[in-house]
Amino acid sequence: MTDTRLDLTRIPIIKKILASRWLQWSLVAGTLPFFVLAILTGLFGTPAGNRNFGIVFVWIVWWGLLMLVMVPFAGRFWCAVCPIPAPGEWLQRRSLVQVHERGKLFTLGLKWPRQLNNIWLQSAAFLIVALFAKVILTTPFVSAVTVLIFAGIAIATSLLFERRTFCRYICPVGGFIGLYSQVAPIEVRVKDHALCATHHDKACYIGSEKGYGCPWLIFPATLDKNTNCGLCTECLKTCTLDNIALSVRPFGKDLLTNKGRRLDEAYRSLMMLAGAPLYTIVFLGPWAEIKEAAYAIASPGWWLYALGLLALTLVVVPGIFFACVALSKFIARTKASSRQFFVEYATALLPLGLGAWASFSLSFVLVNISYAWQVISDPFGWGWNLFGTANWQWTPYLAGWQAYMQIPILLIGLVAAIAIAFRTTGEQRGSSQAALPIVAFCVAFTLVMVGLNF
Amino acid sequence: MRKELFALTVVFLIFVAFPASLWGYQAWRTNAGDTRVIALTANAPATGGWVPDTIRVNVGERVRLRISSPDVAHGFEVPTLGIRVDEILPGHVEEIEFTATRAGRFPFACTRWCSVDHWRMRGTILVVDPANPNPPLPTFAPPLYQQLKVDIDAMHPTQNTPTQKPSAARGALLGIAIADDLRMKSPSDVFTKLRADAMLRSYTDLQLWDATALAWKRTAGDTALARGQKLYARDCAACHGESGQGDGPAGRNLPGMRAMDATMRKGPADFTDAAQMLGASDVLLQGKLLRGGMGTGMPEWRSLYTDEEMWNVISFLRSFVFDYP
Ligand code: SF4
Ligand code: SF4
Repeated sequence: MTDTRLDLTRIPIIKKILASRWLQWSLVAGTLPFFVLAILTGLFGTPAGNRNFGIVFVWIVWWGLLMLVMVPFAGRFWCAVCPIPAPGEWLQRRSLVQVHERGKLFTLGLKWPRQLNNIWLQSAAFLIVALFAKVILTTPFVSAVTVLIFAGIAIATSLLFERRTFCRYICPVGGFIGLYSQVAPIEVRVKDHALCATHHDKACYIGSEKGYGCPWLIFPATLDKNTNCGLCTECLKTCTLDNIALSVRPFGKDLLTNKGRRLDEAYRSLMMLAGAPLYTIVFLGPWAEIKEAAYAIASPGWWLYALGLLALTLVVVPGIFFACVALSKFIARTKASSRQFFVEYATALLPLGLGAWASFSLSFVLVNISYAWQVISDPFGWGWNLFGTANWQWTPYLAGWQAYMQIPILLIGLVAAIAIAFRTTGEQRGSSQAALPIVAFCVAFTLVMVGLNF
Repeated sequence: MRKELFALTVVFLIFVAFPASLWGYQAWRTNAGDTRVIALTANAPATGGWVPDTIRVNVGERVRLRISSPDVAHGFEVPTLGIRVDEILPGHVEEIEFTATRAGRFPFACTRWCSVDHWRMRGTILVVDPANPNPPLPTFAPPLYQQLKVDIDAMHPTQNTPTQKPSAARGALLGIAIADDLRMKSPSDVFTKLRADAMLRSYTDLQLWDATALAWKRTAGDTALARGQKLYARDCAACHGESGQGDGPAGRNLPGMRAMDATMRKGPADFTDAAQMLGASDVLLQGKLLRGGMGTGMPEWRSLYTDEEMWNVISFLRSFVFDYP
């Protein structure tokens, strides 16, 4: 196989930037003021969500950037600039930029329990946020408190556990960015595996005087997927043999292998898949009763909504998918276990889900992004007009066009999903008809998304 | 070490100096110049109404009200100071400046039907003269209904009701002159007097009612009717209904007269009820408007309406039983 990657570290200026210890600090220093402002406006600004910087920037601007730009094109890049784990990491390192005593960390350094060595906890955190999403996403105070809680947990975990345990195992956002980042055309990988095999100091994992060991608890030599690499560029600095590259590569490269697929991740991709149409209904749909129920926490309607959401994400959608998997196993007549079938076919759901979320996010962002002009001039809703845009009116952008932009996105996801489904049957050496139930599932899902958006 | 210090300083600035500068800016905006800025929050009545609901200012002091709403659209008006803001949208801040030139209590209210309890959304601007902080309370003549000892809580139905809606236009063709002071009398009183007049024996009951309708319309005048209609739409229609039948959305859960008498109608008064409306004098209606409904849910309007506005509304109320072209 010819190598289709472009190693960015071969470009001197990029290499210099990546090797600089200032890189990550400056990225975070760039997002930190927005973070601070979002928290302050959430706590002290107007309770009217659409006039509050915290709500508009976090849930519209950031979300839009994340799902439409960062995840599809740069994978976990957000995690490289995310301010939430930064204070904890600085405390652990007792430094912001430089390397402290060969990368020694200031923490109790507890090991994360083995039973939680997966993304189930992240999925649960995501579901909890999803249950209260309508309130969190529209009420500035609640939104700020939620983010603060996560920031607090991040600091606490930094002091108790080793490295970025929070990001790896708790952050509700991290779980799905990781999964979908496999689609992105960017990766950190070792250049020459043979070199790693003979190199015993394992600086990239343990740390050197140039940098810390991988904060994400990865041994870079084993990296074959983007899922857990936070693109922090630490290993590019730490590796004493300069054997690690940041590369541009074809989209979706990680999806070409089913090696090392896991049940927690497969299940998570199903949960995410179910989430996209649900969010479309709750945030963009015309059904006022559902919106109200989602908002009225603890009311009978909300319980119904919560039950529905949990049933759909945890039982119904995974159940239907499992039925499709069972059918394809039946058609394939191979010896592979159902679990293996389930886990491997679930890879197809990654481009499908990313497409669905990108499509939902696109219309959500286009409808709401014009609030950004107002809150930039008046972040607290205190009547400021810093840049003269405080009174710009709300207008949904490209109103008539949204569906025409969403459909191609959904279709790209669908085509990639179908291709992966067929490739998976190939790998399992079954007849290619075995992919059909999975294809049907993907097509049906896409039709539901299209139906909801038209 | 110097690098570390620099990085630390930047982070410190972001966490401390940046927020401080935001609050500093707000404080500067509030205190700059010799205008006193007063923040006023318009909450729906269920969540607190106006905060604060009493604003103290000095005579001659330049004041800027900075009004914001956290929930729904509200309006703001201080009728007796002649200042108002028609629309305060949630999350927006509206500012209005004024200088009160005389001491006194100036009630203000929300002018938008922001919620069922909208009418409770009232407050007072207290204008104090520092040179004379405790002026003697102004004395008012008691309202007409008290002077005339009209019992505004008594029922006032009339037995005389026309068979169809009396029409001012038809009345204009008859040439019957009515000299009474219409404020003091109910339409039914006027009709009865006409009916008793031997000179008018040749007219039918309906014709005499038409003449009565015309008399009320003439006394009111078109300007007053138009102004009354506007006020009615703004302040009354939410409970009493667009068509006056007492079926407005905000009136649905009000006790109405039943709060005073179990046999009475529940909910807001029905202005199309001819027996009640034709049996009521303007003075009686004014009494109800002035005082409000003692537990019926009817707010008082004395503090917000001028005398003239009150008469305007009453004149308009007549159009629910009289046909004014
Ligand atoms: S995993 Fe979560 S907290 Fe960690 S960097 Fe990514 S988004 Fe931020
Ligand atoms: S593999 Fe390298 S870039 Fe990725 S998280 Fe670990 S240290 Fe950072």
